[in-house]
Amino acid sequence: MSPDIVTEELVEQELEEQATPTVIGRTSATERDPSTSDKFSFWLPDRVIVNPFDIVEVDQVGQPEQGPSKTYGLVTMLEHRTDAPNHLANFISSNFGEVDEEPNTPRQGTTVASVNVLSNDADIYMPVPSERLVCFAPPEGIEKALGIDQMKPADRIPAGLIKMSNGASTVAYIDRRYVLGPESAHVNISGISGLATKTSYAMFLIQAILQTAPHPEKTAVIILNVKQADLLQIDQRPEQDLPPEEMEKWEALGLEPKPFDHVVYLLPRGNDTPRTGRPNSFLDLDVYRMFAYDLESTADKLDMLLMPSVSDPSGTMEGIIGEIMAGILGGDAEFRDVQSWSQLLGFLRQIQGQRGRWRGLFMASSIGKFRRHLRRLVHTRQTGIFVDSRASGEQVLSEVITNIKGGHTYVVDIAKLSDDEQALVFGDLLRSIYAIKAEEVEDRTESSPVPDRIVFFVDELNKYAPGGARESPITQQVLDIAERGRSLGVILISAQQFMSAVHDRVTGNSATKILGRTGSSEVMQPDYRFLDQDLKMAMTRLAKGELLVNHAVYRQPVKVIFPWPAYRQPEF
Amino acid sequence: MPNPVDCLTPALDLLGNNLNILPATGSAVEDLQHPDADEIEDVLINREVGEVTAFAETPQPSTSSLYRPTPPLSRREKHLFRFFIDGSLRTYFLATGIESTRSFPIEMAQIGAAVVQRDDDGHLSVLDSQHKILLLVPRGSRGVSDTLWIQLERLRTSDGFFEPVDVTTSDVISGQDRPDRPVDLRNKAGGKARHRMHKLEIDIIRATDGLRDKNHWLILDGAVKLDEFIKTPFLIGVAKSFRKDPQFYFGHRRRQRKDVTAILAGLPHAHRTVAFSAHNGQVAFWYVRLREQKELDYPLMGVVKIELPRPDRTPVEAELADLLSRALVAERNVTPYGLDRRWHCHLYPIFIAEQVIKNRFFSQQVLMGAIRWPKP
Repeated sequence: MSPDIVTEELVEQELEEQATPTVIGRTSATERDPSTSDKFSFWLPDRVIVNPFDIVEVDQVGQPEQGPSKTYGLVTMLEHRTDAPNHLANFISSNFGEVDEEPNTPRQGTTVASVNVLSNDADIYMPVPSERLVCFAPPEGIEKALGIDQMKPADRIPAGLIKMSNGASTVAYIDRRYVLGPESAHVNISGISGLATKTSYAMFLIQAILQTAPHPEKTAVIILNVKQADLLQIDQRPEQDLPPEEMEKWEALGLEPKPFDHVVYLLPRGNDTPRTGRPNSFLDLDVYRMFAYDLESTADKLDMLLMPSVSDPSGTMEGIIGEIMAGILGGDAEFRDVQSWSQLLGFLRQIQGQRGRWRGLFMASSIGKFRRHLRRLVHTRQTGIFVDSRASGEQVLSEVITNIKGGHTYVVDIAKLSDDEQALVFGDLLRSIYAIKAEEVEDRTESSPVPDRIVFFVDELNKYAPGGARESPITQQVLDIAERGRSLGVILISAQQFMSAVHDRVTGNSATKILGRTGSSEVMQPDYRFLDQDLKMAMTRLAKGELLVNHAVYRQPVKVIFPWPAYRQPEF
Repeated sequence: MPNPVDCLTPALDLLGNNLNILPATGSAVEDLQHPDADEIEDVLINREVGEVTAFAETPQPSTSSLYRPTPPLSRREKHLFRFFIDGSLRTYFLATGIESTRSFPIEMAQIGAAVVQRDDDGHLSVLDSQHKILLLVPRGSRGVSDTLWIQLERLRTSDGFFEPVDVTTSDVISGQDRPDRPVDLRNKAGGKARHRMHKLEIDIIRATDGLRDKNHWLILDGAVKLDEFIKTPFLIGVAKSFRKDPQFYFGHRRRQRKDVTAILAGLPHAHRTVAFSAHNGQVAFWYVRLREQKELDYPLMGVVKIELPRPDRTPVEAELADLLSRALVAERNVTPYGLDRRWHCHLYPIFIAEQVIKNRFFSQQVLMGAIRWPKP
């Protein structure tokens, strides 16, 4: 026999083996643990390895004349059961606790996998009968299981690779219509997965959105850099090539491992800027735009600057802010000479010293409190972002965003700003985006049309939209985006360690939730009630780089891995 | 799902159409097993072993030294016992039948036997198992007429799965139904089912033919005698429960007489007694203590009785009895503690063989659904 024939036979044999799924167990329905429309169990023979989040398939009855259908399920938990009724039986079986005693016959036991039904390819949700053969689902089966086969190819965004215990892998696609609208929108990422995992995933997902977009020039991205210089080189190739296994992941996902195109870096002015000419950033970039806040450009955002951190149970501060904003923006005569932060502080000192209440409403002590608070923010503890007058190179952030261009990615660096300043920038960005998408654009000078979609990525969302009763102006802004962004084309990709720390209306409006490793106390919070109890426990065991994707189209969350970012990152 | 025991239907129709039937409550009532059924059986089967007068071991043991040490010999050192047979049964009272002036119980039994094989790694697999449904009906002066019985006999299935059994026939377990001393027919039906179960156990030994040799032994649960002696080589019977009344005579003096309790109370842990002769030397038997007395409630717990067929009536070599006993002591782990009250002397593979059979039995619900008497 010639070597060619031998090779052909081997290939055929291999293809045949691939086509014939390996049986990994049989379904088991018992009196106490029956199969239902939603769940079934199967036992595993020895030496078969199955893990939570594996997707399995099993034959189910079919419609008449259509043959058997397939039911797909997600393994949620595995347990080993023996015939020992209690631990004492095992103790006694070791000759009353002799640890060296070897059993002549190993105790009868088997591992039983619990499975949540994902789907049936003939829409038959009869309980899976007992004794049916169970196999790992093949890639096309996984697509059916998750509903990916129902997605149009143009709507598929690769969200990671599903790796099964048998070594097989397939792409977990999420539906563009449920990520970027109009069906639903937003992505929320939570977990304590490890260094930069959430950010890396968000960046991977944005890259996937851009690379698979039918019209990438109609999508703009705004990214907040909140830590070090993590996202300040996203247009640069990594210093070292990605390892082959990471390249394989990119390839398997059908994506090109490349840095971001058309990136605009917006860096804040700092206290040293007048001396060095450099922005207040962890990295010296060659090409960037610098932004700063003078009173004129900030007057309409004073609420976002001042309200998040000031205690205002009676609403007095809010009232003062409202009066000042209206006064400055309305050109009130009283504010004619108030054109800078210093002048505003001087003005406040002046009205604090007046007799009686300012405008008949606010006592001097309240004005004093407000002034001290403002002074702390814009003078004593500021990082240099607030200026009385902007230099020619110092831009107004909201103006840049108003002129946002499709096909561009804007990285706004807030890593070195104080918390209050970060909140201001974040709120400023949201308000600006909201304005250009929801309202008539008056100040836009950019000739290209407003992008159809603006994807906004922010880490540590809990700072800006915390859970709880009190809703600051920034929280309100986030809620507006969360609730109306789908129809406006503003997509929030947010991340935080603990989902429970974020306003539930934000997470609730995220049609796609990405979950990394999470502590057991956190998963017990009501925010995770959409997860099966077994999956919650499995979440506490996720490894670094492993994430659960809970997507509106999927009936159960799936575990994915994703490739390392293909842009330069600082060394740690 | 079709009726899995539809073989019963023609028989029930036949009986229902020819007898007056007073059905049991709920169509079938499971008979409870006697708590000491095994011990009673040992008494019945070894009726003539009440007095033991001879050893069956070579070299001839001394009356002053009745115990021999048998430290455990684990499977890893020598894997001797490879096959294990057990049987199980469930009996159900179906109805009282009335024909002419005679009334009698109609019972049904599920009986089964299984042989499990232990691989070198200790894992068990089923080598063979058999399952039967018996319709237990008395015939003759205390039961159905001959005409009806002949019709009933015709309903026996060709594969032997369903079989009508005449309860009144004699056997070693159910005894003899004599006109001067009639036995309770429900008890007799239960005994008859046990007898048929043991026959099934003996039948299934055949599955190991050609597989047994001096290194591959078979353990049968219980005695090595039913109606006749089992002559199969490389087989021992291990009884968890055995009669407690045999007397051992080692001489004419009073102090040379011992009862089994006295012998076993002094039997140390992981020791065996010397082998004794029964049935005129056709069986050598001895006792082995599997567990320390201090771990158990009662001195006779943790002791099993071993029977070795000696068709040629030769005594057993002490070395062989030691080897078998040592391997048996190693079988003490694991135990079905918490699952069977006889855990202290149960052999786990035997327990598993029993589970194999029980798990194949039809459930009470299935049987109740299957038992439909014809409407009058």
